[in-house]
Amino acid sequence: MASNPQTLTLAQQGAKLGRWMTLPTQLLLVFIFAFPGLMIIYVSLSWWGPLEGVPWYYAYESLNWFENYIYLFEDERLWGSIWRTLLIMLVVVPVEFFLGLGLAILFVDNFTGKRVFYSILLMPMMIVPAVAGYMFYILFQSNGPVNQLLSLITGFEIDILWLSETDNAFVAIMIADIWQWTPLMFLILLAGLLGVPEDQLKAATLLGANWGQKFLRIALPKMRIVMIIALVIRAVEAFKLFDVMYVMTKGGPGVATETISVYVYKVTFMELEWSYVSAIGFAILMFLTALGAIGIIILSNAQKKRLANVVD
Amino acid sequence: MMAGNRISFEVMRYTFIIAALAIFLIPIVWMTTLAFKPVAEWTTAISEITWLPKNPTLGNFEFIFTGQTDELIITMPNTATMPIIASLVIASLGTLIAVVVGTLGAYGVSRFQVGNNLPLSVLQLRLFPPMAVMIPVMMMWSYLALVDTFWGLSLIYGIVTLPFSFWLMKTFFDEVPREIEEAALVEGCSQWRVFYRVTLPMVKAPLATTVLFVFILNWSDYVIALLLTRKDWVTIPVYMNSLNSAMTGEMYGSKAAIGLIAAIPPVVLGIIIQKHLVRGLTFGALKQ
Repeated sequence: MASNPQTLTLAQQGAKLGRWMTLPTQLLLVFIFAFPGLMIIYVSLSWWGPLEGVPWYYAYESLNWFENYIYLFEDERLWGSIWRTLLIMLVVVPVEFFLGLGLAILFVDNFTGKRVFYSILLMPMMIVPAVAGYMFYILFQSNGPVNQLLSLITGFEIDILWLSETDNAFVAIMIADIWQWTPLMFLILLAGLLGVPEDQLKAATLLGANWGQKFLRIALPKMRIVMIIALVIRAVEAFKLFDVMYVMTKGGPGVATETISVYVYKVTFMELEWSYVSAIGFAILMFLTALGAIGIIILSNAQKKRLANVVD
Repeated sequence: MMAGNRISFEVMRYTFIIAALAIFLIPIVWMTTLAFKPVAEWTTAISEITWLPKNPTLGNFEFIFTGQTDELIITMPNTATMPIIASLVIASLGTLIAVVVGTLGAYGVSRFQVGNNLPLSVLQLRLFPPMAVMIPVMMMWSYLALVDTFWGLSLIYGIVTLPFSFWLMKTFFDEVPREIEEAALVEGCSQWRVFYRVTLPMVKAPLATTVLFVFILNWSDYVIALLLTRKDWVTIPVYMNSLNSAMTGEMYGSKAAIGLIAAIPPVVLGIIIQKHLVRGLTFGALKQ
């Protein structure tokens, strides 16, 4: 069989066609990774900036090796922005997760109006993030509807400066993020809940399991991969947070709500320290690649485990 | 006892859902009504809250499209027409690039065991924050004279959304049964013809979903357009945030009007492809 010339040529033909078909993808990847990657490594080893008056390839004239990377560790504003990014991530992702899970549980079985409610619930996620940022920018103005609503409810004249006081601005940004991305968690987790095999749930019911037991013992373990995927996707996006925050506060007041993306943006356009920005960029790329590799290993292990369970 | 439980569960369910919907809808409703409020109603005193415009007007839309309105003393040279055209053209062309390249690549990987590392390399594109490689990309784009052109922005959009089109189409192709393709091969079709004439028609619906999904993503971008456009091809979100005037301060109503225009297409398209959103958002990993 293996020496059959017909199948051999077919396989060879296939490999050839496959190489042609994947070529555009490969070219685009090389285009976007190769030059930018090499350039940030090169420039990050110098003092070069747009005000030097020489093109970037003359960066070797001001070569400083690892000074930018050493400064990276001393730069308090950078670490502040990293800390704030992580803080936002650590608050919004779990909140979105549990709100989404709660809503998803309510949507598992059928009830009147389910389809309409479902569609409306997905809307925030579909709004252009910059527009969502603007919506919350209006809502949180000191004479905006949030303060007005609070005044109406409490009966006092409430005049909270949401966007110009540090802690409040943080809360406002987190609320905007939770508003926009809880629907995504809801959507993914609902898909996971609906994927739990019904016969197992029925069997458990027959054996006298109550709702909580069914949820904890059957649904949750089956949903592990779904939950990991949902959390990873949200965490990655939360790390990149820019649009909403930039529209709402531009990182202000001062540097109080600066995330890593906003900080990099500001250093690039206001301080013009491009070699230093390159060093930050390269460090982020390395860090995320490492994190991504770990994530993939964990996921593929989980997948293997699940397959093993199926075999059992 | 059981019936009582059932009813209390239903009451709880509707209470929670309606509360959640109210919270989710307030910002959207507020922006929508603001877009129809005259200048005098853009802001109100702290003690009063006006949900609906008392004197509804189209003045905000008139202002952003013609650059002037009776209600405002100022005029504006840049109207919203060009940013809307720019957003449409760039998002469409970016989608075309991402879907064509992604579909071809996905089929190659799905069928012919080539490019084993390709799927993960493609996924990396989505992992990195655009800010990290912003400087070299901006320089590359200016060397290639791509800054502030529709093709330049379309190209980067095509690259940035490639992970979604590639992975989505890959999982769709993985699901197409091979038997039909094999039958066509036995009948002497070339492999390209099998892809073009047999497989592609079978994934027509998934392909349409992918197109709409990628379009939504491209339409929603802000940061890349902020970096790579200057004035000719400014997209809607960038235009919206430049709408401030030194004379009147915040242009609340006008910004709300353009924001509303920006928000409508993705919401409508999103509802159309609702069933497949989970799949799109998880790069094909999960189905509904």
